[in-house]
Amino acid sequence: MSGPGTSWYLALAAFLFGLGALGVLIRRNPLIVLLSLELMLNGGNLALIAFSRHFVNGSGQIFGLAVMAVAASEVCVGLGLVVAINRKKLALDVDRLSELRG
Amino acid sequence: MNGMTYGAWICLLSPLVATVLILLGGTTLSRRAAAWLATTSVFVAFGGAVWAFLGVHGDQVTQNRSCIDFGVHCQAQGELTTAWTWLAAGSFHVPLQLLVDPLSTVMMLVVSGVGGLIVLYSIGYMDGDPEERRYFAYIAFFVFSMLLLVEGGNLLLLLVGWGLVGLSSYLLIGFWHEKPSAVRAAKKAFVMNAFGDATMALALFIVIAHTNRLSFDALGASFSGTAANWIALGLLGGAVAKSAQIPLQTWLPDAMEGPTPVSALIHAATMVTAGVYLIARTHVIFEQARTVELVAAGLGALTLLVAGLIALVQTDIKRVIAYSTMSQIGYMFMGVGVGAYSSGMFHLMTHAFFKATLFMTAGLAIHALSGEQDIRNMRGLGKLMPFTKWCFLAGSLALVGIPPFSGFFSKDPIIASAGALGSHGEWYGWVFWLCGIAGALLTGLYTFRLWFLVFPGEPSAFVLEHHHKQGRFGEGPWTMLVPVGVLAVLATFGGWLQWTPHWDPLTKWLQYVTPTLAVAEPSSTLETVTSVAAVLAGATGIAIAWAIYAEKRLAIPKLPAVQRVLENKFYFDELYDRVFYAPSVALANVLRTEVEEPVIVQGGADLGQTTLDAGGAVRRIQTGLLRTYVFFLAAGAAILVLAFLIAK
Repeated sequence: MSGPGTSWYLALAAFLFGLGALGVLIRRNPLIVLLSLELMLNGGNLALIAFSRHFVNGSGQIFGLAVMAVAASEVCVGLGLVVAINRKKLALDVDRLSELRG
Repeated sequence: MNGMTYGAWICLLSPLVATVLILLGGTTLSRRAAAWLATTSVFVAFGGAVWAFLGVHGDQVTQNRSCIDFGVHCQAQGELTTAWTWLAAGSFHVPLQLLVDPLSTVMMLVVSGVGGLIVLYSIGYMDGDPEERRYFAYIAFFVFSMLLLVEGGNLLLLLVGWGLVGLSSYLLIGFWHEKPSAVRAAKKAFVMNAFGDATMALALFIVIAHTNRLSFDALGASFSGTAANWIALGLLGGAVAKSAQIPLQTWLPDAMEGPTPVSALIHAATMVTAGVYLIARTHVIFEQARTVELVAAGLGALTLLVAGLIALVQTDIKRVIAYSTMSQIGYMFMGVGVGAYSSGMFHLMTHAFFKATLFMTAGLAIHALSGEQDIRNMRGLGKLMPFTKWCFLAGSLALVGIPPFSGFFSKDPIIASAGALGSHGEWYGWVFWLCGIAGALLTGLYTFRLWFLVFPGEPSAFVLEHHHKQGRFGEGPWTMLVPVGVLAVLATFGGWLQWTPHWDPLTKWLQYVTPTLAVAEPSSTLETVTSVAAVLAGATGIAIAWAIYAEKRLAIPKLPAVQRVLENKFYFDELYDRVFYAPSVALANVLRTEVEEPVIVQGGADLGQTTLDAGGAVRRIQTGLLRTYVFFLAAGAAILVLAFLIAK
């Protein structure tokens, strides 16, 4: 085993996750929000795979594959929504798309 | 399956088929067609009953011969025919089965025969009623229920028939549902009958608990004294309610609100006598609980006197006959109660003939006077309606028990059997005997009070004004006159079937099913004395009625207190109002103000309001802003992570 230790990978994963979460929290463009979401998912994925290597257990990698599939399908739906919002000539701003308030 | 079981199934199902056809047919069936369909179905049922009767008769002849020739043990004759298992629960099961035996065939013949004549009579009586079809559907359904009651091959089917006759009686009493009094009477009858149904059901539960069966022979198992007493008491409760005996008698006079053929069929000839049939059918258990059986006899004796007394002051023609019915059923109860089952059944049969005659002639009179039922207005009707007059006279003489009319042959053996109990050293036997004789006097008095007030003499102004001729014969259409004539003939000669102790085919016919108890076998001296005494008592009653109401030689005795008590029917209705009705209403009112309104109504409203308020408070959290949601999510996750870290 060579290369950086597991803690480096985890740090990177935490950084990616935090960056994504920050993006989701502060950006208003739904496209960017989706992008940030992908970052969070990838941060989680990286942590899964790092742990998988650390414990020499393949199931983390399999789980990572599953997360990618989820991410792909989620982004399909999300981009579809963004396109639909754009077609309706609505503002691409998550703060103004608030019809579902109670 | 052989002849007699086919006959029994045809007998049972034919009226049911008619009911279903009339119901499904609706308005596509003309009123006439519905009426004739119902009538035909009941006569077909009578044919089935005759078939079954001949089958049992043939068996009995064969078996009697073999009994005599080979000395084999004679079984109770009859056949159970099972269609399928109707109810099964573990080891307990109840098949759908019919019992065809001497007792049930006698009842089948009476129910479908008298029933057929009365349904035929209804064609004329109900002619022109806008809801004729409904009437005929109900009445065919009643005949089916009654046949199920008498043919049912186990206690459960008997109870089913029992409940269904109560239902059809309710429907028919309340047939004219736009009359509030009819609806009230129907409800009253239903509630009182339901009480009896409930006690019967409880008795059946005890039977199941002890034997795990509901067949009739389960009653022959040896029960502990207490169990036998409770079972017999439960069955007696049902019998008393259905047969309008004290203390559950108050519904029968009110039931006269129904159409007159209904009164004739249900409240005279068939349904109200079901209690007598029940005791005869389940006599095995009553013999195990002899005290309860004697209570039945005592209630019968009491009812026959009380009802006879009340009948003296009634002014509604149908009510007089209704009280007379109660009184006569009292005789039957006394008969089966002391153990003379076949005498009770014989009186049931002759009573069906003469009481149906009386009701239907009363119906002719009511019809001819456009609905008038008050006998004080009817004087002299006989001159205008001779046929009605003579038929009514035949029915009356049979009711009083003047030989050779049928009541003489059937009533006297019952009184004699009660006396036999006395001669066997049981004092209450003589009390019953005296009640019977006193009842005969009352019967003569109230029956001929009715007769002298309504038929002889010159027509009163009211009669002349309101009487209108009907049909080709002036007294009604042939569909009404023929059944009355046939029943009047039966009322006259029907009793010749049996004259104990000289000639007793009916007792022989029934002896395998319901053998008369030895203690209820009167000596021939007692029979003769009883007959003479009863006939004299009846004749005295007639003579008094003649002196008071026809010749006016005797004034009606002025006893205002007694009269008030009698007119108020011994205050039974008032008593039940006070004891049961008023407390229930009070309890219901308390429950309404104390439980329903504060707890149920207010509780429901409070629950709704609280939910609404909570929703109003919580809805502010849902802002519709995606980023707020994410913030809370992230914050929550962060707090969880921190919590875990600290706990570590």
